[in-house]
Amino acid sequence: MNLRSETAKGTALSAPATLYVGLLVAAPLIILIAYSLWTQTYVDLDRTPTLANYREALTDPLVRHLMIRSILISAAVTVVTVALAYPIAYFIALKAKKKTLWLLLITIPFWSSYLLRVFAWKLILGFNGVMNSALLALGLIDEPLTFLLYNEFAVVLTLAHAWAPFAILPIFVSIQKIDPSLLEAATDLGSNKLESFLRVTLPLTTQGIIAACLIIFIPTVGDYVTPSLVGGSDGKMIANLIQVQFGAANNWPLGATLSLLAMLSVGFVAIVFVIGASTLGRRIR
Amino acid sequence: MHFKTIGGVALAASLVATTALADAGKLTVFDWSGYEDPGFFGSYVEKHGGPPSYTFFGSVDEAFTKLQSGFAADLAHPCSDAVRKWHAAGLLQPLDTSKLKNWDALLPEIKNVDGVTIDGEVWMMPFEWGNTGLIYRTDKISDDEISLQLLADPAYQGKVALPDGAMSSYALAALATGNGANYTNMTDEQFKAASDFLRSVHPNVRFYWADAGQMDQAMASGELDMGWAWNQSELNLIWNGTEAKMMRDVDKGVATWVCGYVHLKSSTTPTDQVYDLLNALSEPASGKYIIESWGYPHANEQAYPISDQAIIKQYGFDDPNAFFEGSLFFDAVNPELEAKMLKEFERIKAGF
Repeated sequence: MNLRSETAKGTALSAPATLYVGLLVAAPLIILIAYSLWTQTYVDLDRTPTLANYREALTDPLVRHLMIRSILISAAVTVVTVALAYPIAYFIALKAKKKTLWLLLITIPFWSSYLLRVFAWKLILGFNGVMNSALLALGLIDEPLTFLLYNEFAVVLTLAHAWAPFAILPIFVSIQKIDPSLLEAATDLGSNKLESFLRVTLPLTTQGIIAACLIIFIPTVGDYVTPSLVGGSDGKMIANLIQVQFGAANNWPLGATLSLLAMLSVGFVAIVFVIGASTLGRRIR
Repeated sequence: MHFKTIGGVALAASLVATTALADAGKLTVFDWSGYEDPGFFGSYVEKHGGPPSYTFFGSVDEAFTKLQSGFAADLAHPCSDAVRKWHAAGLLQPLDTSKLKNWDALLPEIKNVDGVTIDGEVWMMPFEWGNTGLIYRTDKISDDEISLQLLADPAYQGKVALPDGAMSSYALAALATGNGANYTNMTDEQFKAASDFLRSVHPNVRFYWADAGQMDQAMASGELDMGWAWNQSELNLIWNGTEAKMMRDVDKGVATWVCGYVHLKSSTTPTDQVYDLLNALSEPASGKYIIESWGYPHANEQAYPISDQAIIKQYGFDDPNAFFEGSLFFDAVNPELEAKMLKEFERIKAGF
């Protein structure tokens, strides 16, 4: 009796979330899968199921090229962001006195819209932008630098800035959870500061690092706005190709197929990463 | 008491105004941003007491996708090359030319454009037309030197912009490879030549512009020397004091487009009100406004004699026939070829 009411309570508590997720995640996913099996014929849809879209996408070198580039760009963004975020999180968690103030300061980029931040980078890196004007004024260059904007570099820089808080927060939480007595014990046992960081702090924060990496890697692979504004033709990513299918090319079935393939690729890379990173974390310990 | 009366009158007046506005605003137009300019439809505002409501799109493709997924409006503003597709998708209802007061005054060449009439019925009321051409910095490239082929010259590495639109870029390529006349129906060989031309321009491309403002700014700052764009960009540059102009020589290659208003099937506003707006848009006074303030040639031929003649001459609007006969016309491309262009253009942009 007791057990049944527990189950009922659990079901009741999870029902709103289940319904919500079901409607907003599962249903669109099913629609996407259905679309990927259809074919576009000029202005109509042919609803006979076929794998032709998958065949086309998988054999197309352009799709492979853009997919690999998207994953590499996101990987670079993840590495840069997490590497820069770790020291900040470390400082706030262990050294800073006014933690709340610091955390508040970190969220400042979120106070302006994502689109505005991308445009801000465009203004900074542009031909007659802040960076070039400053360098020209200082006499360091004679002509504006053109390699700053419209390439992968600009995309990585912009995304790394936009996503920084997402990396800092999970790492901060994981560092703060560390019991200070463990660090004291390490010192008592003769570890110097670097050793106690490498053998105590770092392994204990693996979970935070993994969380930060996933939070940044997964959404940035599919980012559309940043590459289309600052990427030029060398910085285009898979989302830009998907957008073309849903827009100019008016081929929703192929767009749906590309979206699903992108999801699968991201999922695969993320799973491999999590397994690899956890094993590595355990080994250090 | 005195105050009360004034307040009452003001209240009554504002009520009248709001009702009129609400009725005027019931008419919804799906348009490019900027076309909500009240100078375009003065007589509609006079009659209905306010402007219609506008919803905007960024490109004709985006508009098509949105309409096909169920977005409803009364009028929309595509260009002539899209009308066949919109018609095939069942989005449009035919126009009754007897209700179009200015129909007879519209330039005959424009009324003959493919897409305005399909199967003997009229589907689009032409509103404005213009050119897509090579805009260049006259202080860096001389009039004799300029040509479409110059875009591929390695001397201009990183100094060139093309539109991020397959159709427009292929029109340029068709002209540059001498196949402008076959643009809508290129053979495989001609298509390959055009693609090869775009590939040879690609290393010089600084960016493929998605909004004209991006291209205008880059031309003005000196980042670019040449760009394939609309006459709006040329005017923005001239008004900005930049030494730039569009290559309008029909022998060297320039394209012409016509855009206009279509009556959507999803329209719910009374037909008379829809035609009131169409009539306001096609009036000579609206034409004079768009010519003088926007630098776009209007569809109504009566708009030209009443506009500033210096401007008309400067932009070459005095002889529309020269453009219509000599330039590449943006007609609907055969759907199969269109799909090929879209696909190949993505490859070219990615450097394949």
